[in-house]
Amino acid sequence: MMQHSTPKDIGSIDFGLMEPEEYREMSATKIITADTYDDDGFPIDMGLMDPRLGVIDPGLECKTCGKHSGSCNGHFGHIELAAPVIHVGFTKLIRRLLRGTCRECSRLLLTEDEREEFLGDLDQSRKLGRDLNDVTKAAIRQARKKDRCPFCGEVQYDIDHEKPTTYYEVQQVLTSEFSQRIAGAMQGDEEAGVERTTPDELAAETEIELSRINEILSGSFRPRESQRKAIEKALDIDLTDEDTNKLMPSDIRDWFENIPDEDIEVLGINAERSRPEWMILTVLPVPPVTARPSITLDNGQRSEDDLTHKLVDIIRINQRFMENREAGAPQLIIEDLWELLQYHVTTFMDNEISGTPPARHRSGRPLKTLSQRLKGKEGRFRGSLSGKRVNFSARTVISPDPTLSLNEVGVPERVASEMTQTMNVTERNVPEARRYVTNGPEGHPGANYVRRPDGRRLKVTEKNCEELAEKVDAGWEVNRHLTDGDIVIFNRQPSLHRMSIMAHEVVVMPYKTFRLNTVVCPPYNADFDGDEMNMHALQNEEARAEARVLMRVQEQILSPRFGGNIIGAIQDHISGTYLLTHENPSFNETQVLDLLRATRIDEPPEPSGTDEDGEPYWTGRTIFSELLPDGLDLEFTSESGDTVVIEDGQHASGTIDSEGVGEFGGEIVDTITKQYGNTRSRIFINEVSTLAMRAIMHFGFSIGIDDETIPDEAEARIDETVADAYDQVGDLIAAYEAGELESLPGRTIDETLEMKIMQTLSRVRENAGDIAEEHFEDDNPAVVMAESGARGGMLNLTQMAGCVGQQAVRGERINRGYEDRTLSHYKPNDLSAEAHGFVENSYTSGLSPREFFFHAMGGREGLVDTAVRTSKSGYLQRRLINALSELEAQYDGTVRDTSDTIVQFEFGEDGTSPTLVSYDDDNEIDVDAITDRVLDSEFDGEGRHEFLEAGSEATNLSEHADSRRMDRPGTEVTSDD
Amino acid sequence: MVDVSQHELVPEHTVLDEEILEDVLEEYDIDRTDLPKIKRTDPALPDEAEMGDVVKIVRDSRTADQAVVYRLVVD
Repeated sequence: MMQHSTPKDIGSIDFGLMEPEEYREMSATKIITADTYDDDGFPIDMGLMDPRLGVIDPGLECKTCGKHSGSCNGHFGHIELAAPVIHVGFTKLIRRLLRGTCRECSRLLLTEDEREEFLGDLDQSRKLGRDLNDVTKAAIRQARKKDRCPFCGEVQYDIDHEKPTTYYEVQQVLTSEFSQRIAGAMQGDEEAGVERTTPDELAAETEIELSRINEILSGSFRPRESQRKAIEKALDIDLTDEDTNKLMPSDIRDWFENIPDEDIEVLGINAERSRPEWMILTVLPVPPVTARPSITLDNGQRSEDDLTHKLVDIIRINQRFMENREAGAPQLIIEDLWELLQYHVTTFMDNEISGTPPARHRSGRPLKTLSQRLKGKEGRFRGSLSGKRVNFSARTVISPDPTLSLNEVGVPERVASEMTQTMNVTERNVPEARRYVTNGPEGHPGANYVRRPDGRRLKVTEKNCEELAEKVDAGWEVNRHLTDGDIVIFNRQPSLHRMSIMAHEVVVMPYKTFRLNTVVCPPYNADFDGDEMNMHALQNEEARAEARVLMRVQEQILSPRFGGNIIGAIQDHISGTYLLTHENPSFNETQVLDLLRATRIDEPPEPSGTDEDGEPYWTGRTIFSELLPDGLDLEFTSESGDTVVIEDGQHASGTIDSEGVGEFGGEIVDTITKQYGNTRSRIFINEVSTLAMRAIMHFGFSIGIDDETIPDEAEARIDETVADAYDQVGDLIAAYEAGELESLPGRTIDETLEMKIMQTLSRVRENAGDIAEEHFEDDNPAVVMAESGARGGMLNLTQMAGCVGQQAVRGERINRGYEDRTLSHYKPNDLSAEAHGFVENSYTSGLSPREFFFHAMGGREGLVDTAVRTSKSGYLQRRLINALSELEAQYDGTVRDTSDTIVQFEFGEDGTSPTLVSYDDDNEIDVDAITDRVLDSEFDGEGRHEFLEAGSEATNLSEHADSRRMDRPGTEVTSDD
Repeated sequence: MVDVSQHELVPEHTVLDEEILEDVLEEYDIDRTDLPKIKRTDPALPDEAEMGDVVKIVRDSRTADQAVVYRLVVD
């Protein structure tokens, strides 16, 4: 039975140290034996598996709380440590406290005034939200400067910390060889030019009686401190030795116990919650068995958790320590055991301390102790809390489907029937719910589970589905399969921007891949060379509504990155619209209907004219105009260079290409989205892409070797320019070798030569490109793609048909390889073009082996660059996101962080959304046009009605729903059969 | 020495009167420690600005013409 416990409200969380007494209080039992189970397999009382610590075996009852395994969270036990040990997590703080407090009276080594000052600083820092550590560190630094305690006058010594957990007091004492050292220094050093010192001179300089000096020199009198200092100063020597005195944890505990509460407040510690002596453990809490469950292996043997192993070690040493102490063992043995106990307690908490060998398992594997469970990528925080695995998610390969709307995603039937949506059965949907259950878990729109009103969950199986369906009634819940129109979240990693996670509507499909419209490739940065994507089915009504309103693809058409559209026509869509509108070809009625068949338009528009046979014809631009919303006025320059004019929704002139409908700031898509809304824009993009596909299929579009081959005559001309350039390079080299080359300002002669050669050679490629270009027809597919902005540029064409050109590594001609030459095919110090990676061939004519090698060098640099760039920028982005993640735009227009500190007084200085505002370098915001439009819609007859009542078109409707809603005659495609 | 506060790229910094400051804090419903900070040693600050003062900075903005920011002077 599932017990429903109400979730507890967390009022507040205190961070601090735990008092030993608190460990004892919360402890279910004291642990004294290191053994776990007795011979019969029962846990030993007061052993590490004591049944009072919780239950892990099903069926048993917890001796502390009476609950069973699963509901009992476990209870802590405790070990009474035979001697105090240091907690490794606090070694730095312990060191600081030892250094900052008096060794005698334990008071902070600061005068009252200094203390007040630091307390004030602390307050100030707290208010300003600064790092308190800066103040406390400064306080300790100040305290360490004191030689004597300002309160009791005790001399203070240095504290040495030997990692991880040993502390020494360092005293400077008179060395035993003082007489030898003084005598040595009095000898002088001729080489260094130090003169001899006589005892008389020394006595005069140090103001010590001569007899004393002689006694000191003979070693029979130990100089006092003041005398020592005087001699040290006179002879410029050091007469001290370090005397180290180890501080045992018990000494430190006594020391800390005497620190007054007021003093630790200055160090940023709340004395009420945390006393410094609690950093020295006298009691060790034993985690409940549920945190360290033992596993029973196949052969019946029990295998204990790493933590249990560690605890066994601690208890064993603890016991040995006690026995030895009671037996009155020598101090040396006691100290050894104490150190061993310290080691085990240390590694119990952290097994990756530098300078300490990690505790190992019998197999040699280092034990995974407390800190290792939390730390790192697979640790509790990053692995289990932030990186939880989720249910209701699916991942598979993606493939394109141009018949889907951009809002949709094709979901394989297999996925759809695994992932469910909870359906609350009411009086009104009982038949529907029953239909799902009748279909069972295997039939597609079926159901996997039902929940009875009493809360019991039943699995729907092939056997019981019919029977169960009859029982389903209002008040039940049915976990039905995903069906067409459900909303799901779709994602492709790396999720670098908002548009990497968008909501789609489900279309259940056969086969095993997710299908998506090609126009959503740019926001996801997806292609179909094996990319996989993730899908998440939403589990409550609120999430579904939110996804539909905020996350649907059509809501993401405009990118907040640059304010333009990120979704639009791509690749062949652009070639298609280019072919359709560039030369404005004519079509007959059959062709027009074919072009428009996948759009909402099923009647051809008014013909553009009639041909000589009297047959009506339609131009490409007329057809394109059909997709445009009424009343659209637009003028812009296309990628191909002509001016596109759209008047009242009619495409008057110009070529529609990437500037018009493309994915990154296509003017028409951008304008439609901003003026007519996301829904209209979605319809437009869908229709443009289908129209373009029809158009490109009508014309036919392919590319082959012949398309990049130029006549022999042109090739001869290219060879000629290459030969010319070689001559020029030859001349440059000759001039350089003759010392006649004049260097450019700020360059050496060598650099000048390199620059001039580079210039000459890059001119060759340009010329070759120009020559090649002359021989390409305008209908050449590569030219169409380059000119329309669909794919590639003129450079690619030049390289295919003319000449590949100079290869470069790090922006220079290729200079690496052997000593004084790039390859052994060339003479040393050959400066010619071909010896440094100039490729005179084109991709069609083919590269020579040496050219190919140089080309690969250049190509490799590109690959390395992208690899390095992605990792660098990924890290930068991670840091930026972590720094900015808690900033939030508030309702009052300010941007604040979680502590309510203001970051921006007005979001982005102007309080506007980057996706809703349009302006660019040439055009500022056209405020007049916007006010005109608003006034028009508000005060003109029909517009007024829409503005005030219908408002903008509802955006959160399913695609299927709004086609029903837009009850325009003829919009719905009705089938003839 | 160059006085950077006279440079055309350095926006105008003025110390806010206590009463106006009250209004500003009221408007945003914050304590003065919730404001962005500026160092006392910042060369753009006017000489009379002292620790604990709040300066008003009016800078030219590409999108909003003028943007107003308040900063608390700290050490």
